[in-house]
Amino acid sequence: MSFRIIPSRNINALRQLHPNRNRLAPCATLFTATLLTAKSLLEAPTSKLYPGHVPISPLQRGILAVGSAFTALANPLRGDMVAALGETTGGMFLERIRDQMLLDPEGRRILRERPVITSETMQLDKLRELPDGTFGREYVRFLDDQQVSPDTREPVHFVDSEELAYVMQRYRETHDFYHTLTGLPVTVDGEIALKWFEMVQTGLPMTMLSSFFGPLRLSHEERKRLFDIYVPWALENGSNSKLLMNVRWEEWFEKPVEQVQRELGVQPCPQV
Amino acid sequence: MSTRLLSHTTARARITLLANAKKHHNHRLVPALSCSRFLSTHATPDSSETEPYDVVIVGGGIAGSALACALASGKATGTQKIALIEAFDLSNHINWKPRADQYSNRVSSLTPKSVAFLKRIGVWSELDSSRIAACNGMQVWDGVSGARITFDAAHSNDRSTFLQQVFADAPQSPSSEQGSDQQSPLAWMTENLHVQYGLQKQMLAHKNRGVQLDIFEKTKVQGISANVSSSSPQESSSTDISEWPVITLDNGKKLQTRLLVGADGVNSPVRSFAKIESLGWDYSQFGLVATLEVDHSTSTALDQGKGVAWQRFLPTGPIAMLPLNNGYASLVWSTTPKIAQDLKKLPAQDFCALVNAAFHASPADLEYLCRNIGPDGQPQVDFQKEIEWRASVQELESHAVARQSKDAKPPKVTAVQENTRAPFPLRMRNSNSYVEDRVVLVGDAAHTVHPLAGQGLNQGLADVECLARVIEQSLLSGSDIGNIHSLTPYSSERFLPNLAMLGTVDKLSKLYNTDFGPVVWARSLGLTAVDNMGPIKTEIMRFAMGLEDVPSSAARR
Ligand SMILES: Cc1cc2nc3c(=O)[nH]c(=O)nc-3n(C[C@H](O)[C@H](O)[C@H](O)COP(=O)(O)OP(=O)(O)OC[C@H]3O[C@@H](n4cnc5c(N)ncnc54)[C@H](O)[C@@H]3O)c2cc1C
Repeated sequence: MSFRIIPSRNINALRQLHPNRNRLAPCATLFTATLLTAKSLLEAPTSKLYPGHVPISPLQRGILAVGSAFTALANPLRGDMVAALGETTGGMFLERIRDQMLLDPEGRRILRERPVITSETMQLDKLRELPDGTFGREYVRFLDDQQVSPDTREPVHFVDSEELAYVMQRYRETHDFYHTLTGLPVTVDGEIALKWFEMVQTGLPMTMLSSFFGPLRLSHEERKRLFDIYVPWALENGSNSKLLMNVRWEEWFEKPVEQVQRELGVQPCPQV
Repeated sequence: MSTRLLSHTTARARITLLANAKKHHNHRLVPALSCSRFLSTHATPDSSETEPYDVVIVGGGIAGSALACALASGKATGTQKIALIEAFDLSNHINWKPRADQYSNRVSSLTPKSVAFLKRIGVWSELDSSRIAACNGMQVWDGVSGARITFDAAHSNDRSTFLQQVFADAPQSPSSEQGSDQQSPLAWMTENLHVQYGLQKQMLAHKNRGVQLDIFEKTKVQGISANVSSSSPQESSSTDISEWPVITLDNGKKLQTRLLVGADGVNSPVRSFAKIESLGWDYSQFGLVATLEVDHSTSTALDQGKGVAWQRFLPTGPIAMLPLNNGYASLVWSTTPKIAQDLKKLPAQDFCALVNAAFHASPADLEYLCRNIGPDGQPQVDFQKEIEWRASVQELESHAVARQSKDAKPPKVTAVQENTRAPFPLRMRNSNSYVEDRVVLVGDAAHTVHPLAGQGLNQGLADVECLARVIEQSLLSGSDIGNIHSLTPYSSERFLPNLAMLGTVDKLSKLYNTDFGPVVWARSLGLTAVDNMGPIKTEIMRFAMGLEDVPSSAARR
């Protein structure tokens, strides 16, 4: 349920209730409008939009957002809660990213073809055979080092639009490429730096929340590194580079990492 | 106040005036010598001589022509000597021979108030009713959020006013019970040329029955000055003819007038002459107009959307489709100057696809398509395919969420009439005052408004109606019609309503010229709230229909 739905649904709901609403005194109408707003808060979409979709009402959404924010803060390892937080608060921002994708030929192609990133579609074994220094080779090296696979991502549950759910999924699936591209480590401060970078690029509130609250959990050293080095880098590169959601990563594997960085306008993050 | 100069040149005029003067005993009539001079000048027109008039109207657009007709049809004003000066060839209007399968691209909505006025001055009956489309409904929605407001003729006919609904016990006006003639239209759509044709016909009819109306067409005003190189010094009084403005035409002719009317459009030379400042700005927008053919069977609105006006607010400006008869419609698409130029060049088929998309597709999709019009005017991507793909995605979502399915769909555009696509710059401008001594402004010369509410012309007609009435009253009371005091009632009646309209429309245009989240959200809630409040909606419609000053029970007469 995003903001855009509320008004038009109210119109229709009101029409059904009061076909003869012109006769109503304005105060009564106002009252009904308020009631209906409350009613629409409790209304969930009628059917499942995609496998894994959990339709929820705006009220539930609010509760879930607040709850997951606290849980995520207390325990950043609860990946499901971090994900739920992003999904429940992201409607408007997902739309913005989708619109940014619609304005770009590559972004449109991604939305049309909806490529998915799994260990199967990525053919990781083939990537391992690429020469050192190519984007694909460095990407598998990263996965191997971290002992993660593209298949370990949390699926999307709470986004009430089939297309936006895909955008969210794509956003998650491409996260590992960002590490390869920027050279940021998988440490708490490295992740937070990446969130800052994404926030500048996309304005997703999940990244916004974690970029503001995340630092609370850092040691003095980590915090210093974050604000002296990472954040300035993120602010500069996040705004200068091409929107990474419009990158068809799967087609860049053969290119050297430096070339990919140059073409996308991203400078590698200073190593510490 | 005791001496007055007469410029009336016919015996009939003198009689009328004498009669009036007798009626108002406080006025002493002084037959001025100059009258004979006026007569002789008139009798032997000589390009080097200055010819005197009571009223000179600069600009033969709809406002100027309507004023000429209104004055000519007035009891007292009909005796005045009037000139109308127009740069263009007005014979185009009188020789207008429209074909049933063609419509001019300049179409305006006329409010009930404007139509009543046109009826009163005998113009409406000159028009061909088959070329006038009644507009019975309006669908206006927000392209970013989808929030929508609908108006239909039934609303405007609500008998009680907003206040009466608030105080439910308030007595209804007695006439509220009368009549069952439901659904008088919200507005009438017709070509500007059509109205011009009717006006021109009436003007000639007035001339034929002896009204002194001189029409100078294909003639430009070259200069206007305040002082004449007058050889015959007049007695110095406040009504000294030498203080009357002199209008020099590009054929060398000079006219001198008691009252100069600027009906000369947004760049009004008369306004500059009178040194009246005007404030405003150019929207960096153009309005692209075109005549469209539509397929009504594709509309989900009542009666297949016949007689419905559609307007969708996009971040680049509103797009509006106004109903015409027989499956035609008129387009006004306000957008950036670049897109307007590109739209003009686009092949007809792609243009229609884009217009359809502009009423359905997301603003982002639309922007993408508009960006993909090449410098040669050819689409750089397959418009049809892109649009179909996005429509299928939207379809899927709207089915699942059961949203927006009840919103009526406009009819599909199937063709665009050749050579009707034309961009017009959009502006907002308001003169700091509408009157000066011997000068008055009407229509676009006084105020120019964004066309999103279709009010510009209607405001101009309201000006004209008011001015003709004020001049008539001055004549009846024996006042000098050019004197600023005689003109003040006009400006006090028209200035504020026009300013209110300009301000409202300007705010609306700015409010909708963004896709910034919080603004979109707030305006959508507002629009939805208004849509759900019958009484407020009724008031808005009455304002838009030019009925705000009419008690609602009388509104439909
Ligand atoms: C795209 C668009 C859509 C619109 N849609 C609507 C609508 O739906 N409803 C509505 O009410 N309004 C609408 N309007 C506004 C409406 O068209 C104008 O308000 C109206 O035409 C103004 O009439 P006017 O007679 O005041 O001025 P104009 O029509 O501008 O007439 C001025 C005349 O003065 C003449 N002139 C100027 N200078 C000189 C000179 N020096 N010497 C001699 N002659 C001179 C010009 O040739 C011209 O004929 C729209 C406007 C636009 C741009």
